[in-house]
Amino acid sequence: MALPNSNSGAGHIPSIDALIDRSRALGYVMDRSLGTAIYLLVRLGKPLLIEGHAGVGKTEAAKVLASILGTELIRLQCYEGLDVNSAVYEWNYQKQLLAIKIQEGSDRKIQDLEAHIFGPDFLLRRPLLKSISCEETSPVLLVDEIDRADEAFEAFLLEVLGEFQISIPELGTIKAKKAPYVVLTSNGARDLSDALKRRCLYHWIDYPSFEKEMDIVQARLPGIGTELGTQVVRFLHSLRKMSLSKIPGVAETLDLSTALALLEKTDLDQETANQMIGCVIKSADDLVKVREEGFDKLLASR
Amino acid sequence: MKSYSNAGTVSTDAELNRLEETVVRFCRCVRANGLGSGRTTIDCLQAIRIVQDAGVAAIEDALRSVLCSSKDEWDLFAKLFALIWEGPAPTGPSPKKSGKNRFSTHGLGPEKNALKLFSDTERLHSDSDSGKAISGASVIERLTKTDLAMISHGDLAELERLSQRLLRRMSYRLWRRRRLSDRVGIVDFRRTIRRNLVHGGELIELRYKKQRRQRAKLVLLLDVSDSMNPYSLFLLRFAYALKRCAREVSAFVFSTTLLDISAVLNAKSWPNVLELLSEMTTGWRGGTRIGGSLRSFNEQSGARLLSRNTAVIILSDGWDTDAPGALAGELMKIKSKSRQLIWLNPLLGVPGYEPVTRGMSAALPYIDVFAPAHNLESLLQLERHLKVA
Repeated sequence: MALPNSNSGAGHIPSIDALIDRSRALGYVMDRSLGTAIYLLVRLGKPLLIEGHAGVGKTEAAKVLASILGTELIRLQCYEGLDVNSAVYEWNYQKQLLAIKIQEGSDRKIQDLEAHIFGPDFLLRRPLLKSISCEETSPVLLVDEIDRADEAFEAFLLEVLGEFQISIPELGTIKAKKAPYVVLTSNGARDLSDALKRRCLYHWIDYPSFEKEMDIVQARLPGIGTELGTQVVRFLHSLRKMSLSKIPGVAETLDLSTALALLEKTDLDQETANQMIGCVIKSADDLVKVREEGFDKLLASR
Repeated sequence: MKSYSNAGTVSTDAELNRLEETVVRFCRCVRANGLGSGRTTIDCLQAIRIVQDAGVAAIEDALRSVLCSSKDEWDLFAKLFALIWEGPAPTGPSPKKSGKNRFSTHGLGPEKNALKLFSDTERLHSDSDSGKAISGASVIERLTKTDLAMISHGDLAELERLSQRLLRRMSYRLWRRRRLSDRVGIVDFRRTIRRNLVHGGELIELRYKKQRRQRAKLVLLLDVSDSMNPYSLFLLRFAYALKRCAREVSAFVFSTTLLDISAVLNAKSWPNVLELLSEMTTGWRGGTRIGGSLRSFNEQSGARLLSRNTAVIILSDGWDTDAPGALAGELMKIKSKSRQLIWLNPLLGVPGYEPVTRGMSAALPYIDVFAPAHNLESLLQLERHLKVA
């Protein structure tokens, strides 16, 4: 398989360290192993499957890669029942009907008319088609939450990722001039097929360690004081130790930190934590559990 | 390897060769442990060449990216890598020789690994030494004979035949019903416009596309404490018959712990199912922890199996030694994530039974269908309730 940008890829990102540094400058803290995985994705041209719990920064990794490479990010959000029409292409029916009306008086042959209205002008490009029809640079294609799409779509995606080409019956086969960099994310809601996994590089993002999470908070919100940051991260870490139905991720840490900064709080005491708990706990049951556990305990424990 | 971590980077061709040799051997060992199926060693070498200058940590990360494809493998990899790359320092001068030694002594054998995977079942087996001698046939007998409307031994074969016939018929009915109800379609614009070009583009004939309906998944949770065993087996047969209608049937048995027996349902014929089952059933006994078992289900398989397209059937008499609150909480989770929650209780067939056991009354608010399952007839009645198609 041809590598995307095999000449210029290395020019964009000279080394793993450079990748990690640039991503930090953009506010995304990447540990070494994620950096290596993304570097390999760029250099090998293989799709990267990122798994992990909700809110640990899977989607963000793809966004930051697009910014670093200076290319377009094309995002395909998967859901149950996602079909080819909304993922690959669709014809613009209103425009086709209009075109037919306009041509009504002319002597054009039906074959010509058909070729005309099923031409590129009438094609609506959805994310997958868009990602392989870029002319200049390879875009980053983010297939978000692939585990939500059904098996049939997964099989189709496999075909696209293998060849980077799409067949449209009326137009013929479209082959990518610049193969996209592909990032897939999954929450593990369903096991993915072996065939898809085999084709991808893999990376698991866990909840960050205390140090890494502090790092993330500092990188994202440089204004926040170390003391408040420490309190927030410690609070989140003790929440994660409880058996909650929805465990708060890094996204929640950042939400809470941002909220505290907005309200110009300098200290996360019990009362504040109680007021702001909605930033991190998002189900009634969990809320009851947290209150039972007591904020004094959660804020103090380390 | 020691020499690389000291140097930090790989500089000479000779070292690269040696590194590649080690990688090849590492790949082989890793594959013997069930990791990286389908990944080629070439993939690894390609990756290694790219990151070789970044030190041994990057090599580990790169190999992990290429060789793993799930969280479990991710965790296993760390162990294997530590074992093989950072194992005892090479003693001999030739890295080839020392490497070889280490792999043969420290690589976890595939058999050992397999045993580890099945440690749960192993434990279950060893729980009851008396049950070990039971042969497949007598297990079938034990499982089917008891109760289920007090069938006498002579009638059993007849009941088997009958249930097979009736269940097959029911499965076909459900399947056919789905096919007929698919008739309603939505307009397919692409084909419609194409078709009507012969009329100068005036839309005269409409073309439809069928809405493809997603068939439901079926999850069975069977109580196999002593009193429930015969009913469980019949429900399993019921599930096996439903395989044609449902997209996917998963089954779990529980008494004090939970055991996934979905693989059993993939057997080609019903006797094969029983054969496989008899190998696993010897440990089914003892008290019942419904709440705890359902929690294990939610934690281990809930996210994977439950969706709006899943019907969940629980078969149990509701005698629970866990706190009733635990059961209610787990049921609520299942209910909120699935299409339908059915609870079958054989005791409902007993005249005068009221579901007042602590477990049962805590469960009632979350149950869509509460039905008896004490004989074949009541099982067949399920057809009316079940929304698989």
